[in-house]
Amino acid sequence: MTQFFTAVLTSLSSGAIYALMSIALVLVWRSTRVVNFAQAGQAVLTTYIGYEVIQRTGSYWIALVAAIIGGAIIGAFIDRFFMRPIFKRVTSGPIVLIAPVVATLGLLGIIEAVIGVVWGLNNQSIEPPVSNAGFNVNGTVIAFSLFNAFVLGTVAIAMILLTLLFQKTNIGLALRASAYSPEISKLSGIRVDAVRTLGWAISGAAGGLAGMLYVPSTYLFPNAMDVLLVFGFIAAVIGGLESMVGAVVGAMVLGCAINFVATYISTALVFPTAFVVLILVLLVRPSGLFAGKKGRSA
Amino acid sequence: MLKHSKSKHSKKIHSSIDSPRKRLFLFILGGWLLLILSNQVGEFSLYQGAFVATYAVGIASIILLTGYSGQLSLGHGALMAVGAYAGALTINSLQWHPVVALIMATLVAGLFGLLLGGAVARFSGPYLAGTTLALAIALPSLANQFPILGGEQGLAFDVGASPARFGDDFSPYKWFFWIATLAALIIIWFVANIAASRFGRTFRAMRDNPIAAQLCGVNVARQKVTAFAISSGVAGLSGGLLVMLITGVSPSVFPLSLSLLLLSGAVVTGLYNLKGVILGGLVLVAIPEIAESLVTRIGGSENVANSLPGFLVSALLILAVMFTPNGPEHIFKRKH
Repeated sequence: MTQFFTAVLTSLSSGAIYALMSIALVLVWRSTRVVNFAQAGQAVLTTYIGYEVIQRTGSYWIALVAAIIGGAIIGAFIDRFFMRPIFKRVTSGPIVLIAPVVATLGLLGIIEAVIGVVWGLNNQSIEPPVSNAGFNVNGTVIAFSLFNAFVLGTVAIAMILLTLLFQKTNIGLALRASAYSPEISKLSGIRVDAVRTLGWAISGAAGGLAGMLYVPSTYLFPNAMDVLLVFGFIAAVIGGLESMVGAVVGAMVLGCAINFVATYISTALVFPTAFVVLILVLLVRPSGLFAGKKGRSA
Repeated sequence: MLKHSKSKHSKKIHSSIDSPRKRLFLFILGGWLLLILSNQVGEFSLYQGAFVATYAVGIASIILLTGYSGQLSLGHGALMAVGAYAGALTINSLQWHPVVALIMATLVAGLFGLLLGGAVARFSGPYLAGTTLALAIALPSLANQFPILGGEQGLAFDVGASPARFGDDFSPYKWFFWIATLAALIIIWFVANIAASRFGRTFRAMRDNPIAAQLCGVNVARQKVTAFAISSGVAGLSGGLLVMLITGVSPSVFPLSLSLLLLSGAVVTGLYNLKGVILGGLVLVAIPEIAESLVTRIGGSENVANSLPGFLVSALLILAVMFTPNGPEHIFKRKH
């Protein structure tokens, strides 16, 4: 029974991190129709920024803020000076469909190579701000720690803030409108390009937060976030790629599936499980669980 | 829109590959030249040449699937793994001839692609990309679950010594080169024929406008699965050749980066044109060499040495997308 509750709790905590990554991908997909593979690079780069801040100041909290802000700046920068020129340039021929994917894959490679040059390929570690030792329940140590609880709480707060931003503010309305129908938004006076850059910035911040919450339980190296990107992407696809709620639900489904298989069967089956869950969901609903009405064709 | 792009493409096909007979002649001539070449160059060049041929086969499978039929796959490394393991099992358990093993690699991977394609080919764009990406990380790790596949150590893949009639001074590298090059020539000839056939036209129609293709009587769902299966088979052969060259197969041979590397090779040399495959293979083999010589010349640190190849491939990929999005040849004939 304890094992079961532990599995549920760890599922929620790792699902929370997948959810951040998945939201980061969904935000960009909704507004630009780009699956941003560079997100893994952005997130790991911001985590390295956080790591440097920790080395200088010794404080995880300052590093967390620095990583979130750094992530936002990097995201905005990439949209303004990388994606926008590519969209302007590549407008014809069959390559249009896959050019954004290929461009972000290239960017991912470049970011990871630059990190490799600057910080090396060795594993670095970030000390968790609160204890990462499992709670002691009736004499048995379970796999759920105070840090996992912290992750869960932080992600929950981030979700609430994002929901408020999207539902209650004018900026959120502009973000939703320009994702749903760019032309009409432009006609009603929304600066769609600027709003899109803002979307990339929010997405970058979410990635930075994901990195700072994920790395303390493992190590930091240039490819550290690749697995998280894949899980985040799977979660986003399960959720239907359009909806933020879908992204969170997808991430929780994936987190549960992965953790239960790891607890009860074998940790070696984690990746095959993710694949099987994805295939099963897509076979039943080919465009994900929460695919919205067709606002525009992909 | 559809009519326009179709006519443009059919013109390109007709100007590049005239008739099946001429194409066959060109391939035989190419093979003969390579045969002469293989007696002139050193061991290491032969070994690298075999890698070029292997990557060329892998790139051909990507071009067939992504370039011609418009389905983006990020998981061809997994399909290569299927072929490689099938080949290794054929050699190790059944003790069959290596050539049969390579054929088995192609067939088993093709069958796997047929089954997988039946499930996933109806997914569109990002859904297919996501599924194949998940496959790329899931499948190689699955090999650890079955003792017959050898776990982390993997299996040996030994094609054996070259036949005695080639003489004693016939080195194993030359033998690798012959097998890989012959396989590459046959498979590229095969893919070129498919691209020029009714199948190829159907694939392109389906890529450019699936709805219009369906209205013209193309069974889009079935054709997508067909493209997926053929591409998987070709990828399987490429996987078989790859593990032949490194004489063993294990999960670590097929990381996610292999799938992305092949896609890079295909994009850099033109995703919509088979003529680029040899060039693509050359680029993929040459880049680590270029990086290494750059590092020794400039004297960079270990970090630079480790990261430079990835940087070069990625930079090339971005430059290719920005400046020659539809293949390098468009630089030269932009005005027409």
